[in-house]
Amino acid sequence: MREQLLKSFVDMDEQEAVKIARELVETDGGAVAVLDTCKEAMEEVGRLFEAGEYFLSELIAAGDMFNQIMEFTLPKLQGEEVASLGTMVLGTVQGDVHNIGKDIFKVMAEASGINVIDIGIDVPHEKFVEAIKEHKPELVGMCCLITLGVDSMKRTIEVIKEAGLRDDIKIIIGGGRVSQAVMEHVGADAWADDAARGVRLSKELLGKE
Amino acid sequence: MVSPEMQKLAEERAARMKAANELKEPDRVPFSGLGGDIIAAYAGISSYEYNFDFEKNRQAIIKWNTDFPADSPQGGVGGLDNLSLSVAFVDFPDLANSIFMLNGPMNDVLDMKFARFPGRQLDEYSSPQFIGGKNMEPEEYDELIADPQKFAYEKILPRISNNLQDMSSPKALATMARLGMVKAQQAAELMKTGQALAELGFPSGGGFGFGFAPLDYIGDHLRDLPNVVLDIRKYPDKVKAATRSILEVLFKLAMQNQHADTIMFPLHLNEYLSPKLYNEFYWPTLKEFILRLAENGKKSSLFCEGWHDPHLETFLELPAGWGRAMFEKTDVRKAKKILQGHTVIQGGIDVGVVISGTPAKIDEYMKALLGDMMPGGGYICGPNVGNLPRETPIENVAAVYEAIEKYGKY
Ligand code: B12
Repeated sequence: MREQLLKSFVDMDEQEAVKIARELVETDGGAVAVLDTCKEAMEEVGRLFEAGEYFLSELIAAGDMFNQIMEFTLPKLQGEEVASLGTMVLGTVQGDVHNIGKDIFKVMAEASGINVIDIGIDVPHEKFVEAIKEHKPELVGMCCLITLGVDSMKRTIEVIKEAGLRDDIKIIIGGGRVSQAVMEHVGADAWADDAARGVRLSKELLGKE
Repeated sequence: MVSPEMQKLAEERAARMKAANELKEPDRVPFSGLGGDIIAAYAGISSYEYNFDFEKNRQAIIKWNTDFPADSPQGGVGGLDNLSLSVAFVDFPDLANSIFMLNGPMNDVLDMKFARFPGRQLDEYSSPQFIGGKNMEPEEYDELIADPQKFAYEKILPRISNNLQDMSSPKALATMARLGMVKAQQAAELMKTGQALAELGFPSGGGFGFGFAPLDYIGDHLRDLPNVVLDIRKYPDKVKAATRSILEVLFKLAMQNQHADTIMFPLHLNEYLSPKLYNEFYWPTLKEFILRLAENGKKSSLFCEGWHDPHLETFLELPAGWGRAMFEKTDVRKAKKILQGHTVIQGGIDVGVVISGTPAKIDEYMKALLGDMMPGGGYICGPNVGNLPRETPIENVAAVYEAIEKYGKY
């Protein structure tokens, strides 16, 4: 069944994937199997996206499938040890309301085992600081799609520095406006303008992989 | 009064654009110009003043276009796409076309939930923002398909405007009447701005109107983008039927704009869709739209936002000379290889370079760009995104204009 789930998920056959997952989750140890298989499937979808075979339409559909399946799988995982690679606070920076890319990245990061705390869009600088204090993440992810957002990222990182929190975290930036130059300009540690690469780099920053 | 000298300049500029639009080589590469938030900053005014005070707006536009004149004028009364309102009133052409772009004073009247303006919901130095949202449920596709206009009027307007919640209420009627008053005042102001630009040697006439890929109307105004991507898989037949009904309304709207010889299409879902989905759900109605406009003597101009590479070849299904394509992330050099002699190409100046480069770097960048893109004609030089932020170094802007003169002669 795991094989079938993996295949139907990667082939974007939503009805079939959800049906198999529903059956599998009821078996002994099924919830863990569903979770692991879906993570593997998301990774494969990400790989196909990076290879140019899949597009955003497939990433969005995969994210939707993943969320649907997790909705009935996660409650069954209560009590099970689910390994987490680490925690990330994620938000779209102040002045910018684009959330589609951030949400795609979030699902893929979660599927890879990162615990993501999503603090939303148009996030004021101080709210990043508060979230870091509250959740003590290893990673902070910032998303930015408009040119104006670049300065907003820079300012957010300055405010994090002023709060004395910069050395406790690694910062990765993503979204349509980021590049090597932008990363250097704002003082982040890594950048990615596609979700699969973003997940890979996040894992590297966490020292996993 | 337009002086004979300026009259001549206007003719030169128009001829330059015309030649490029006919896929030929003009005397010099046509340049669409730089602009955006920087226009207000250059005049020393806030974005709020620029968007709400039409006298200051005009002065800022005159100053910018005097100091940085391109082949088409830059600046306007920044508007947000207000398409649902135009769709709702499509049977009243004079109204439908004038309310399509939502500017600040219009939004004071309409109070749209998808819009945020400087000095109102935003600080005085931000640019106006369209923030979108989901305004329709999947169960409503049948109603949309049956009659997009009725659907917009009865269902969408109450959901997007705080003042049109009940279309039969005195409040809604007063809102529409007030909108008319605001529009009348603005028309007089805009005439003055138009006159001032004519005196600066910009060609008048040859206006443009707007068109949209029918699927983008669903994504931008009704379902929100990610939802429409999922709808395509869940309700493929309904989505397809909806794009067909919407095409009829949007085509009607575009044709009503009698002064427009070019219809501009900003494309949004292009980057999201795999070629398979693009060719099944997006392109067929967009293509038909373009072909019908061509039959009626209108050219189309597509702004291919994001990354358009996988769909470039589809343009070749249109007859040569159909119109132009402007690119954001797609490399114009790559587009030229595929589309030379068939489609006019616009863009090429990465605004990132203008914002963060130096005049020397920009000179080098422009020299390489023009060297690659000019041969054979059919190219309009311009930025890849329409908006330069307020902080853009002005010497970098100047470097772009200088490079056009220096390297742009044929
Ligand atoms: C959809 C869209 C919108 C929607 C947003 C809907 C939503 N809920 O998000 C709406 C219509 C509301 C909108 C509004 C506006 N938009 Co807009 N929009 C777009 C559009 C068409 C697509 C953006 C998108 O979703 N891309 C797809 C996603 C998946 O890509 P992505 O975000 O890069 O994410 C990927 C990676 O970067 C990565 N990733 C994402 N986040 C993160 C985070 C981390 C930490 C990591 C590691 C990775 C990562 O994973 C994703 C998957 O691979 C683009 C044009 C384009 N095609 O790029 C314009 C665009 C981004 N918008 C633009 C503009 C100007 C605006 C407005 C300001 C317009 C206006 N005047 O009103 C407003 C913004 C208001 C504001 N303050 O933000 C400009 C920005 C130009 C600029 N340089 O500043 C663009 C480029 C269009 C253009 N060419 O002019 N927009």
